Amino acid sequence: MLNNITLGQYFPGDSFIHKLDPRTKLLCTLLFIVAIFFANSPISYGILCGFTLLVILVSRLPFVMVLKSVKPIWIILLLTLCIHIFTTPGETILYQYSFLTVTKEGLELGVKMCLRLILLLLFSSILTFTTSPIVLTDGIESLLRPFKCIGVPAHELAMMMTIALRFIPTLLEETDRIMKAQTARGADFESGNIIQRVKNMLPLLIPLFIGAFRRADDLAIAMEARCYRGGEGRTRMHQLSYGSNDYVAFVVIFVLIFGLAFLRWGTKLI
Amino acid sequence: MIKIENLKHYYKDIDGNEVKALDGVSLSIAEGEFVAVIGANGSGKSTLARHLNGLLVPTEGKVTVNDMDTMDEDRTWDIRQSVGMVFQNPDNQIVAAIVEEDVAFGMENIGVPSAEIRPRVDKALAAVGMSDYAKHAPHLLSGGQKQRVAIAGILGLEPKCIVLDEPTAMLDPQGRQEIVATVKSLNKEKNITIVYITHYMEEALQADRVVVMGAGKIQFMGTPKEVFCRVEELEKLGLEAPIAAKVASELRKCGAKLPKDIITEEELAKALCQ
Ligand SMILES: Nc1ncnc2c1ncn2[C@@H]1O[C@H](COP(=O)(O)OP(=O)(O)OP(=O)(O)O)[C@@H](O)[C@H]1O
Ligand SMILES: [Mg+2]
Repeated sequence: MLNNITLGQYFPGDSFIHKLDPRTKLLCTLLFIVAIFFANSPISYGILCGFTLLVILVSRLPFVMVLKSVKPIWIILLLTLCIHIFTTPGETILYQYSFLTVTKEGLELGVKMCLRLILLLLFSSILTFTTSPIVLTDGIESLLRPFKCIGVPAHELAMMMTIALRFIPTLLEETDRIMKAQTARGADFESGNIIQRVKNMLPLLIPLFIGAFRRADDLAIAMEARCYRGGEGRTRMHQLSYGSNDYVAFVVIFVLIFGLAFLRWGTKLI
Repeated sequence: MIKIENLKHYYKDIDGNEVKALDGVSLSIAEGEFVAVIGANGSGKSTLARHLNGLLVPTEGKVTVNDMDTMDEDRTWDIRQSVGMVFQNPDNQIVAAIVEEDVAFGMENIGVPSAEIRPRVDKALAAVGMSDYAKHAPHLLSGGQKQRVAIAGILGLEPKCIVLDEPTAMLDPQGRQEIVATVKSLNKEKNITIVYITHYMEEALQADRVVVMGAGKIQFMGTPKEVFCRVEELEKLGLEAPIAAKVASELRKCGAKLPKDIITEEELAKALCQ
């Protein structure tokens, strides 16, 4: 029952977006987030939405699948919308009911904020849909490496992520096995109120944790036996390299940023 | 290749008492040799294995690998590169989420240049017959396949010796077969020294020399024939000789005239039909 959980949400493919260097995708996602905060007019929001649609099309991901990634935060969206609608003071009052006032400004602001959140989420899910977690780890390590001198443990973080990726499926398998074993002995994981259920989880969690610690011990010894001694002097089999596609992506994202910045401030300058 | 002189190792248990895991072991292993180590639970086999690449260091005595002392911290990484180790649990020694990445792990650690790693990974996977699985996720492989991946990860480091600590204990018969065949071919074709710890006597039969451990000491050793015909002594140490040797021994007790060195079923059958 736990076997069909896929790790991350990688959707394999060979589109332009899939083939970009993971660092490019990470940096472009960050730059896009900056661009989102430059937007202030309906035109600029239109451009951002259009751009996101274009990226989804180019990545050849199923459209509905990408949209579904917004679902987990619908409650946050709703709250954001309500708070802005009801608390923003403004002149044009659209609707009033006792102490609740809906203004035109509030409605606009609420919609804008929600749009920002949605775009942010869509864009970062395109990143995780088109990049396998393993490659993403390499990208993060490589981007963080320059910050080592200020104490960012780039290699250690990447190693932790690698080991997590390796062992999560194994631990899920084990959970499944223990669950079956305990069910056979009469344990009940499905019924009862919350407190009872948490209590019933103990016979599952304790063996699982003991097992995980034993694994960690074994793995540490096995890694040491294979000459592991931290990130110092380590080489990598796959070396990341930027190609012409990556330059195209950077140019596009910078054009977008400057375009939006111009729409916001440039018009005043002229 | 490996010299062990009067090796003693004491653990401290939780109450602070000393546990004598190894109590004066002397053994020397020649280059290209295939040595099997057998012994009951707790006889000190794993402790001995971990001294061979400096994972543990002697409380007393000395272990040298190609004249490098395992106590010498400057040589630890050279020693671990020349003596690779495969452990019992196939799951807990694979580090990366893709087979080929895991094989590359050791080489990355010792700083092999990136361009060289790729061909060495392919060669190592080919040597254990796992080339088709290079891009697979380790958790989807069978136990025997996982152990072969672990062996490939060590081969990438181009070791002189591989120590295997009960590599087949968690495998099904087919997986055990695969591992024994792989280890044997590495020994014969690449002249890699093998130290093979096992509870399965049939596996130990494949070795050039069998070392029998008991109570932290080497009880006796010799060729498989010399060791396995000592049925009663083995039994006293909590070990079971191969079935053929046991049957032959019982038959001899009842007066049958059988040669003393029967250890395989074929030999027994031949002797009986004469
Ligand atoms: N970390 C430890 N702390 C304390 N005692 C230990 C430790 N590891 C092993 N021992 C003890 O040392 C002795 C030898 O253990 P070792 O693991 O070498 O045996 P083994 O021959 O490998 O057994 P098995 O066949 O079960 O693997 C045992 O009595 C064991 O209880
Ligand atoms: Mg052991």
